[in-house]
Amino acid sequence: MKRAIRIGAGEALVLTANRLLDGLIVWRDANGSWQRSIAHAAILSPEEYESALDAATKSAQNDGVVGVYEVVVRPGAIAAPVSVRERIRAFGPTVHPQFATELNA
Amino acid sequence: MNAPVGLYQYQTADREFLASRIAEFEGQVQRRLSGDLTEDEFKPLRLMNGLYLQLHAYMLRVAIPYGVLDSRQMRKLAHIARRYDRDYGHFTTRQNIQFNWIKLEETPEILRQLADVDMHAIQTSGNCIRNVTCDQFAGAAADELMDPRVHAEILRQWSTLHPEFTFLPRKFKIAISGSPHDRVAARFHDIGILARPGENGPLFRIFVGGGLGRTPLVGHELFDSVPEADLLMTLEAALRVYNAYGRRDNIYKARIKILVQALGIDGYRKAVEHELSLMNPEHYRLDPETVAAIKARFAAPDLTASPDAESRLKADRQNDIAFDRWVRSNTHPHFAPGRIAVTVSIKPAGGIPGDATSDQLDRLADLADQFSFGELRITHLQNVVLAHVAQDRLLKLWQALNAIGLGDANHELIGDIVACPGLDYCALANARSIPIAQKLSARFGDNALQEEIGKLRINISGCINACGHHHVGHIGLLGVDKRGEEFFQITLGGRDDALSRTGDILGAALPEDDMVDAIARIVDRYLSVREKGEQFLDTLTRLGDAPFKEAAYETV
Repeated sequence: MKRAIRIGAGEALVLTANRLLDGLIVWRDANGSWQRSIAHAAILSPEEYESALDAATKSAQNDGVVGVYEVVVRPGAIAAPVSVRERIRAFGPTVHPQFATELNA
Repeated sequence: MNAPVGLYQYQTADREFLASRIAEFEGQVQRRLSGDLTEDEFKPLRLMNGLYLQLHAYMLRVAIPYGVLDSRQMRKLAHIARRYDRDYGHFTTRQNIQFNWIKLEETPEILRQLADVDMHAIQTSGNCIRNVTCDQFAGAAADELMDPRVHAEILRQWSTLHPEFTFLPRKFKIAISGSPHDRVAARFHDIGILARPGENGPLFRIFVGGGLGRTPLVGHELFDSVPEADLLMTLEAALRVYNAYGRRDNIYKARIKILVQALGIDGYRKAVEHELSLMNPEHYRLDPETVAAIKARFAAPDLTASPDAESRLKADRQNDIAFDRWVRSNTHPHFAPGRIAVTVSIKPAGGIPGDATSDQLDRLADLADQFSFGELRITHLQNVVLAHVAQDRLLKLWQALNAIGLGDANHELIGDIVACPGLDYCALANARSIPIAQKLSARFGDNALQEEIGKLRINISGCINACGHHHVGHIGLLGVDKRGEEFFQITLGGRDDALSRTGDILGAALPEDDMVDAIARIVDRYLSVREKGEQFLDTLTRLGDAPFKEAAYETV
């Protein structure tokens, strides 16, 4: 059963997962590849994301990722997740600046 | 036998078991990587080996049975942090250590490295009997009635891979102490055990049905005086009743506390007594020979101290005010003349509670070798104990701790904050625990100010699962999510000692940005209204929470 998603005005969706080998967070780009930085994430409309999520979930094992799901973002130069949880996932733990995710990665 | 001090010396059978367990897990990892196992199939297998998938990466939780480890084990933890993680480890409220940035493919190798020093990650996850916790001053404290570590080890051996109790309705936590002063929060465990000597051998007072989480409950006394011979049979019966009748339909109602609440303690006791009547006592009897054989695998340190050790400590304290303050807050009386137990605070001002770098772990191992027979204990308040320090060498130890940033005089004071990893690491959390802990400990960083404030423990949990034990904090903070933003609910008056109770909610949750100022106002109000000799809980009991509520919400 799909979860109900609340999307506000001007907000969109991106897909995220963890890498199987090392658990690190990844974001799905427009080519269906998984990237370390949310800066490369494909921005999806509510109409687009369901089919993208289905495809990403089906190919997760081949792509070496686990736990694919969608994240609500505010599009911009770099998509900004709406929730604190997803901002921390995207940019790294706030208590260890040295572990911040490299946005150009 | 050249056994380490304070912990059980493994035998060949223990090591063979660990090797086979690691080989089994390595095969499971390979099958996961090849796609033969799905994530849903693999998840329970990795959890049985302490491997979680957290917010940013895999997290490996390593067991430290009853919180005791030796210097070679501590150095191995430092090596793992340095080689396989990001140069630090995090001590938990269950006396374990977690590594936050582990790679799945490297986990079998890490487990082999741990096994080299008789360590593992079993019983740190899953619906089994978890790592048994113990009084951090066991075998050292002057107020102790009996050393609980031998029976903690017996419980470890009894519970490890117990075939009946590997798939309980929910996780199961046991703590044991041998002191009349409850330092293990016995009444907040699924089963809490207080041991004492009796005329014919040890006796065990057993509490059942305590716990925190979303339904915090104080445990009830199940039996007052279980003799040693019947200890395992009694625990086995108590767990059988839970295993048979505990709820499996609702994860939030599955802990033993819910069953005890439903049956009432008298009903639960009756069910346990019925189960006991069906059991063969001879099969479960814990005989003195078995206890003696396990006790023999613990080495006893030579605690003889210099005759002038106490007078030299007295002189050192007179010569250094800061050292004197640290001795007051961070030491505990030892039963042996000339010795003292030390709590090393892993809570420097502005630091992350429970985090220690690889270098600090290595240095703590060195200091354990130099000052405490190579033995260390991890506390459920996320600190480290060196239990057997000679009093005339205490000043040198404190100076060495200061050199690595771990010489703060704040044990059980406002800087000794207990915090879960929170939303910075945990996949379950609603809010970040660590930043508030850092800001509060920086704000109240001055050790003299902390002593002036007196005993005041702050506990912070990032969600209702309560890993930061906020319910039992004198001031507790619970992180809640409001439309994706962090808020915190304040509770006052919790405690986990012999007068155990959960804190009372002060009012509506406040935004994260307001929390540090709100807590500071509560502390200021306490300082302005307390009477001579009062600690925070005394003042709260005398006045109720109204003045503190007024202070907390002053600007709202």
